[in-house]
Amino acid sequence: MAQTIAESEAKLGAGAGGGEAGLLRRGVNEWLFLAPALAFFIGYQVWPIFRVLWLSFTDFQFLSEKPAHWVWLDNYAQALRDPLMWTSLGRAALFTAMFLPGTIILPLLLAILVDRVGSQRLATLYRVILLIPAVIPSTLIFVLWKWMYNYQSGPINHLLVNTFGLFTLQNAPQWLGGTALTLPAIAVMEVWWGLGYHTIFFIAGLAAIPKELPDAARIDGANEWQVFWHVTRPQLAPIMMILVVLRFGSAMAVIDEYLIFGGFNRASPTYTWTIFMYDQAFKLGLWRQGYAAAIGMIGAIAMMCVMAALIWVFRPKG
Amino acid sequence: MTLEADHADAAALRETNASSAGGAALRHLVINLFNLIILLPLGWVLLMSVKSLPDAMRGDFWPSHFDFTHYAFVFHRIATLPVNLFNSIYVTTGSVLITTFCAVIAGYALVHIKPIGAGLVVTALLVSLYFPVRVVSIISIYETQHWLGLINNTAGLILPYVTLQLAISILIMRSMFQLVPHEMFESARIDGAGHWRALWEIGIPMVRNGLVVIFIVNFVSAWGEYLLCLTLIDDEAKRTMPVVLAAAQGGQGQWAWPNLAAVYVIVVTPGIIAFTLAQRLFFKGLMEGALKG
Repeated sequence: MAQTIAESEAKLGAGAGGGEAGLLRRGVNEWLFLAPALAFFIGYQVWPIFRVLWLSFTDFQFLSEKPAHWVWLDNYAQALRDPLMWTSLGRAALFTAMFLPGTIILPLLLAILVDRVGSQRLATLYRVILLIPAVIPSTLIFVLWKWMYNYQSGPINHLLVNTFGLFTLQNAPQWLGGTALTLPAIAVMEVWWGLGYHTIFFIAGLAAIPKELPDAARIDGANEWQVFWHVTRPQLAPIMMILVVLRFGSAMAVIDEYLIFGGFNRASPTYTWTIFMYDQAFKLGLWRQGYAAAIGMIGAIAMMCVMAALIWVFRPKG
Repeated sequence: MTLEADHADAAALRETNASSAGGAALRHLVINLFNLIILLPLGWVLLMSVKSLPDAMRGDFWPSHFDFTHYAFVFHRIATLPVNLFNSIYVTTGSVLITTFCAVIAGYALVHIKPIGAGLVVTALLVSLYFPVRVVSIISIYETQHWLGLINNTAGLILPYVTLQLAISILIMRSMFQLVPHEMFESARIDGAGHWRALWEIGIPMVRNGLVVIFIVNFVSAWGEYLLCLTLIDDEAKRTMPVVLAAAQGGQGQWAWPNLAAVYVIVVTPGIIAFTLAQRLFFKGLMEGALKG
């Protein structure tokens, strides 16, 4: 701190002005560069969160003429008593459990393979192909897979029915639309989508490991599995931790996919806490946004607790 | 495996960085299997967009008759399509430019101006990455846009779109600017340049790769945004492409499968081409600082 002050005083001395007015002007100028970013960040991220927190303690209904009342924790109490709250949280957790392992393990395997490609040209080609899904915008991925999974004309069912003859047109699997297969189908799509991006992540991590480490282990007689487990894995742990925590967060808070593939049927496995919140806030009755805010906060707090636990479990040892 | 064999392996690995010809072949086979899994769905859409209608109904992978007229058809016959496409283009352009501008000057300020409170800003940005902001904030953003009179206003989408990837963009630019020695800006300042000129003439060329990364990240995110557009815009003609495509009932009328595929290809291709052209800079940027951020 003292050093920072000394530095800034030195800078001030180097500057032309000086004096009280100069200090003030300098203070304003310094923040000028942060101001546009902060205006957006506060206006559309920080304020909304606090506003929603505040709403969650009121009986605010967007379309209602009556003013909102402060109801303390009533919304939370009602939400926690509603079995749908727990079911919807459980569904989000179920999806996360289906999605998370595949989206960590497959890219890790692929990264180890690509990392050993000797030819520079091929390595570049592989990386470009791998990253193509990552530059396709989210909704366009969903539209593509909605189509792939289409009951009648999708290529997946076409393969199963016409090519392999495993099913007939009458009993072919109904992938989307709130059936039991919907969550696994979305999980497969998400793994496909993140495959290349996560692989690049791990390749960057592998590139940072000094080549002497695994080589020394091999000289000492370690087999490839032991090299991976005792040398590579600990070196990749920080990257893996970031990926696990971030992907856990995004998987628990999925909403667009459920809106597109599932809709607002409460019995659908895609009716998770995010859809429950959206349904209450923008679809049902007079838009009970106070109650919806409480649902959103409960979901957010629940997943933040697990994320904190994950960070604690994966903390750097020693 | 015997000890000697392992020794030989390790030695070979150090020599060629590849264990054996067989292993290398297997490795390429597995990688290409994954590549195939990635490319197959995209190839399928591309082929669908040039299939004749009967071929599209049959569902075979390779069409027996090619028909390239779907691309012209969708522009002439689907009345709202050019409008939706135009909406997507200007909303995305506006958001990407504003976010990039904000992120660059904020990243510079956090590293090379360091106003009091900069640490707090960085902490807040980091926390926002872990909180499900996008989902929870939608309730309040609707209220804000309603208050500003921006419900059903396509250009109004730019305001919330700027923040879609703003936090990560600032953090990426911050780690890029950390690679630029402070003295470079200092000497420019002593020579009489203000922060703006120092940033424009010295900073921008040094952080070029990071700029490519945040350009692509923000483009992808704004071009495909769904939730905000769906919630804030009611009118079909005022919506952007992703919402229109997601709502399209494939196979019926104007949205016959090859037409839908043609629209899809039109919407997806610009991003893929831009990325392929900029990939060298993009990967450099990723390795330099984006992944650390």
